[in-house]
Amino acid sequence: MSGIRIKNLRKSFGSYTALHGIDLQVPNGTLLALLGPSGCGKSTTLQLLAGFETPTDGEIWADDVLLSSSRGVLPPEKRGISLVFQNYAVWPHKTVAENVAFGLAIRRLPKAELVERLDRALRTVRLEALRDRYPSELSGGQQQRVALARALAVEPRILLLDEPLSNLDAHLREEMRFEIRQVHDLLGITTVYVTHDQSEALVTADRIAVMKSGHLQQLGSPEDIFERPSNAFVATFIGANNELAGRSEGQGAIRVGDRVLTAPDRSGAARGAPVSLCVRPSQVRLSEAGQEAGQEAGAGGPCNVLPGVILRSAYLGEYRDVLVDIGNDQTLRAFVPPVRSYGPGMAVTAHCPVEACQILGPAA
Amino acid sequence: MGVISTESPGRTPGVAARPATARVPLVKAVAVGIVALLLLLLVVQPFGWVLYNSFHDDVSGAWTLGNYARIVQSADLFEPLVNSLILAVATAVIAVGVGVPLAWLVSRTDMPFRRTIRVLTLTAFVTPSFIGATGWILLAAPNSGWLNALWRIIAGAEAGPLLNIYSMAGAIFICGLYTVPYSFTMVSSALDEMAVELEDAATTLGSGTLRTMLSITIPLATPAVIASFILSFIQGLTLFGVPAFLLTPTGIPVVTTKLAEFYQQFPPEIFLAAAYCMPLLLVTAMLFRMRRRILGRKQYVTISGKTRAGRLIRLGGARWPAFFAALLMPLFSVFLPYAALLLVSLTRAWGQGLTWENLSLHWYWWALFGNSETSTAIVNSLVYSTLGATLCVALGTVVAYFVERRVVPGAGILGAVATVPIIVPGIVLSVGFFAAYTRAPLNLYGTPMLLIAAFAATFLPIAYAHGGAILKGIGPELERAARSLGAGEGKAFLSITVPLMGGGLVSGWFLVFIPIIRELSVAVFLITPKTNVMTTLIYNAKDGGNYEAVCAMSVLLLLLTLLLVAAARPLTRLLSARRTSRKAADTAGVFPA
Repeated sequence: MSGIRIKNLRKSFGSYTALHGIDLQVPNGTLLALLGPSGCGKSTTLQLLAGFETPTDGEIWADDVLLSSSRGVLPPEKRGISLVFQNYAVWPHKTVAENVAFGLAIRRLPKAELVERLDRALRTVRLEALRDRYPSELSGGQQQRVALARALAVEPRILLLDEPLSNLDAHLREEMRFEIRQVHDLLGITTVYVTHDQSEALVTADRIAVMKSGHLQQLGSPEDIFERPSNAFVATFIGANNELAGRSEGQGAIRVGDRVLTAPDRSGAARGAPVSLCVRPSQVRLSEAGQEAGQEAGAGGPCNVLPGVILRSAYLGEYRDVLVDIGNDQTLRAFVPPVRSYGPGMAVTAHCPVEACQILGPAA
Repeated sequence: MGVISTESPGRTPGVAARPATARVPLVKAVAVGIVALLLLLLVVQPFGWVLYNSFHDDVSGAWTLGNYARIVQSADLFEPLVNSLILAVATAVIAVGVGVPLAWLVSRTDMPFRRTIRVLTLTAFVTPSFIGATGWILLAAPNSGWLNALWRIIAGAEAGPLLNIYSMAGAIFICGLYTVPYSFTMVSSALDEMAVELEDAATTLGSGTLRTMLSITIPLATPAVIASFILSFIQGLTLFGVPAFLLTPTGIPVVTTKLAEFYQQFPPEIFLAAAYCMPLLLVTAMLFRMRRRILGRKQYVTISGKTRAGRLIRLGGARWPAFFAALLMPLFSVFLPYAALLLVSLTRAWGQGLTWENLSLHWYWWALFGNSETSTAIVNSLVYSTLGATLCVALGTVVAYFVERRVVPGAGILGAVATVPIIVPGIVLSVGFFAAYTRAPLNLYGTPMLLIAAFAATFLPIAYAHGGAILKGIGPELERAARSLGAGEGKAFLSITVPLMGGGLVSGWFLVFIPIIRELSVAVFLITPKTNVMTTLIYNAKDGGNYEAVCAMSVLLLLLTLLLVAAARPLTRLLSARRTSRKAADTAGVFPA
């Protein structure tokens, strides 16, 4: 298989293990997002890919070239891998054009080709007009584009992006997401994109690898990750989620406090093992206590029914965000149509369609 | 579209599955080797010889503990230790007692002419203390001193001298005076860098000015105060020029002057001198350890340049009295001694009094052009300082780079070695270099190399620390970006890191050059008539009693130093100026930030 192959990659710093054996494949031409909370090992993975760290164990291959193993690493400058840093790392003593041309000059390209490729890279990120500026005269978004152009100009085999948008303000961030995806569609460079922002990952990536505490939790398409999370951590990390902790009552059943609930079971857990019932707040429906379940509640087939009391209710315009105390120290969040005036203290019944619920095991 | 093709440089089958190796590249190995060798020559070897010699007998050359036994047993050798401790404690007390209030006045109050006081205090900083001592000899020698002469006019001819600079009190006064700038600088920069918000937070909680000062400002400045006490103590302990000028004539020995005596007496007792360095080393090493623990990891504050003016405390009616009190420090350390030196240097013969006929530039002409001895020393000073500072900064920066970027495993050891000279008093380093390089195979005695190397070694810790501080301000990802674009480690260092260090390196160079050109104690055992420098020439000429020449040389050295200090700042700024393209400057304000 061609592309990046990461085999059983482990990295320890002294007694601390940052990566516990990661296996990943990134087919050529795809954009993989490494997604996870801080400290999950995604940046370490990127540093290993770039060749700045030596793995403790395992191997990194690009096509049929061994890049890194515990015996040694091909130095960063020999990998054909460009890296875009979180804080851009645009050199303040060089102009935009000098920054972008640096990698080309290292390759001793003929003058004409150098100029052509420099222009092309600047054009790709729409920076032609600013070529003679120094970085101190650029905005954050412009510096980000310089960093991107600099990385692209050398026509790398692989492009690594390390939280490239996290230093930008929210508005610009949203815009740049699409821009990065656009550049990827244009050039088709195999890309690994590190981020802690799930929506960034969903927008840009072909495939997402969710990580936590140095373990790979799930690798799949954005739809896979959102709709079929492999465990409760992934479900909660991507999008809003309710996670009701309980114990397995056998395949398809979970005991939460004194109730047994049913749902499609993908935990593979043995009876009695700790599992969670996960359901998105947007799938939860509410009705006033004592009343029959509303028509809309019963419409989608069988439901897990949970009586409770409203703790908090916030009106958000498009919907109402309601937090329900369902006893046993557990709460359930529901996004319901805003027309109903649910207030704190009100007794309600929560209906969770069985098909919208999933029984999932804990994180790896 | 294929605008940029995805060519793969490493896909050729020949490279396929090539095992990546952990082998250190040749260039890197050579660079590390050179650095390690230089450190070995500059630090480890001289230091090792001092240690080795201290266990050998001067006469027989056999292994012995006798040198150490003699230090403890002989009152003759024990007394200087006690005197040195007295001098050190008193120096530290004066430095902190004067320097801290002065720093507070300048940094935190609305005292008039604060900037002037700061500049004058820094002028005292760059004044070599032995030159200050020379000036004060002219002012306060028991018989001929001008202040004493003035006193006799006021109090009558029979009155004894008011001041006697040739005494322990005199030496303490001078050492303290020229150490005040150390504590002043440390404490005032601590006060300057203190976030105003910390004080404001206390004020918003209802704390008054005095209370804020007592409960926030002073505790936050305490580490700097303690650290400056320790530094001043070490200064008092290790100064050589001042006691040699003021205490040796009256027969009060301290450790540093005693060390010189071992060399000058016949037969010289060089191995005993080596052993005699050890108590000094022990104390300084201990104190630096303490200082490091107190300052913790904030020992070297990076130059962030983001100084914010704090709220100034209103002194009210005490403003002017505070100013006049603060003025005493520059009066004693700069105005009076400088005036004395200048006047004497401008007289043909000092004894003939101040008349128009006696005024001349004779001694300046004499020093610059009139004889080869002084002109050689001036040239030597400039050449050795330039080369020494360059070697020092180059080596210090590269070591700092190795350590900061962990270029090789065990780089920390190189850093530790580069820091060692900080605990080695100049005079001990002189002993070490004498021991290491006056024998085969590296007999450098009488060559400029010896002095250049000794100067570079003495100030290596400053260059190393400074280089480290600059590098901390330059994110490693700036280099890594270059690496990922195909630049090797050396190329990334030279094309990215060095230009970015630019102004910082220049300021570091001056930071080393200035103390080198005024350094006396390191050079004192290493010079020969051919390799004399200005400081040692002044030191030796003073023994000859030719005060006019001494003063002219001193004024020249001071002028040179002050000129360099004045040039350092604009040069540094020029090289670290924030780059701005002309085009952007034209359209400044038009383009949205």
